Amino acid sequence: MDIVSFLFNKTIIVGFVMGILSLYAISHNKSDLHMLLLSDLVEGAMLVIIAAIGTDLAEALILPGLVVGMAELLAVSEVLIYKNELKNRAIYKNTSSKKSELLEEFIAKRVSHGDITFNKMEVLHTAPKFIAVILVIYGAILTGFTGGAVIASGLLFYVLSQTVLGNGISLNKLKYSCESISGFSGIMWSFWILFGFIGFFLFPQKYLYFLLISGCALALKVGSKLGLIGRLISETKDK
Amino acid sequence: MIDPITGNFYGYIPLGDIVFYITDFSMIEFIVALFFTIVVYLTKPEKQLESQINNFGDKLTTVSLEELKIRRLMAIVCGICTAFAMLTGDLFDYALFLAVVGIANIGIVSAVRKSWVLNAAYNYGIIAIISSLPLFGAAALILAKTGTLSILELAKTYHDIFYQKMIFAVGMVGETGIAPFYAAKAEMFRAPGAPYILMIHLSSLLIIVRTAEILLTIR
Repeated sequence: MDIVSFLFNKTIIVGFVMGILSLYAISHNKSDLHMLLLSDLVEGAMLVIIAAIGTDLAEALILPGLVVGMAELLAVSEVLIYKNELKNRAIYKNTSSKKSELLEEFIAKRVSHGDITFNKMEVLHTAPKFIAVILVIYGAILTGFTGGAVIASGLLFYVLSQTVLGNGISLNKLKYSCESISGFSGIMWSFWILFGFIGFFLFPQKYLYFLLISGCALALKVGSKLGLIGRLISETKDK
Repeated sequence: MIDPITGNFYGYIPLGDIVFYITDFSMIEFIVALFFTIVVYLTKPEKQLESQINNFGDKLTTVSLEELKIRRLMAIVCGICTAFAMLTGDLFDYALFLAVVGIANIGIVSAVRKSWVLNAAYNYGIIAIISSLPLFGAAALILAKTGTLSILELAKTYHDIFYQKMIFAVGMVGETGIAPFYAAKAEMFRAPGAPYILMIHLSSLLIIVRTAEILLTIR
């Protein structure tokens, strides 16, 4: 029996236990925001159950499951943000917003969380460098378009977290680095297309060299380009 | 093959792997859902006459269509997804349509800008997120046990999928079945300009009946 069939029952049990335990955690929480975050854990348990099947059809089914989970999470978080805004607006106007509490006994979990502000989470100070380095190395090993995207997400994460913390980049340094990065990305593009792709067609016997050139060049091109966008975002936020 | 529950089987539309199959039952539900979607599109928001305290003059409140465009869009999306969920012949596709209907219901309920209504929308959203685990998990378990997700295939021979069907029903109930209760809890029927909320009831009703039909068809 191969490993997928051997572990199938155990994986399903793990998935369901994850779901039930997170339900327990949700019921113990008093704050809206924590309930929302823990319900995303249930989405993770759903992915475990779908992935336990282990065929390529199951792999194709994971992506819609993820998209659905993300969409529901976005919808509910929009509702939560707007509810918070309404409450702040009411407090600012000094009107009593608790006037008509119909069916109050069913609204048990009143918010004790306070404001939803995003001030200086501890992990933003310690995580960015490490995660960015890991993602850049992994993307460089992967190469190709996927590798480029992974590199870019590592760089973006680093730049965005520095922006949130307030350590933006100064404008002068940025202008130089913008131009140099876009130049670098353009040179990588030329490597990818001219030496990589066209080389496939002109010299099909030596395909391995051209494959390596195009893969690495594509990774570097995509990585630097999206890192550029991240820097542009941080630059406009600094203004 | 599908005769006992659903009437005559007319044929199926194969769009690759996912087939839409046409029977008496699914045709009627499809037409009903589309008809009500068109009615929702053409409806103008209603005017309300509120009686005042210490005063015999009644106040007429009107809501213009521009304020309600988002709710109308959500109601139309809900109607169209319900209509296509009535036709589909693939379990996972059906579960995806249910999830979209759930999100559209959250959109319809939360378009009202009052804090108790947003509370109801938030509670419904949490339950919709949690119940996607039994819904998609049961579809995955049926795939694991029988090797197929197509309703036409599952109807042919007997596979022992009783518990998986139970979990699927639980997932459906949490995702779209309880939406009318949250709409009633939020007292949305008294909000001005509120004809679009009836799409929540229609979608929930049609989906419950269709789920019962699917769970009786696959053996």
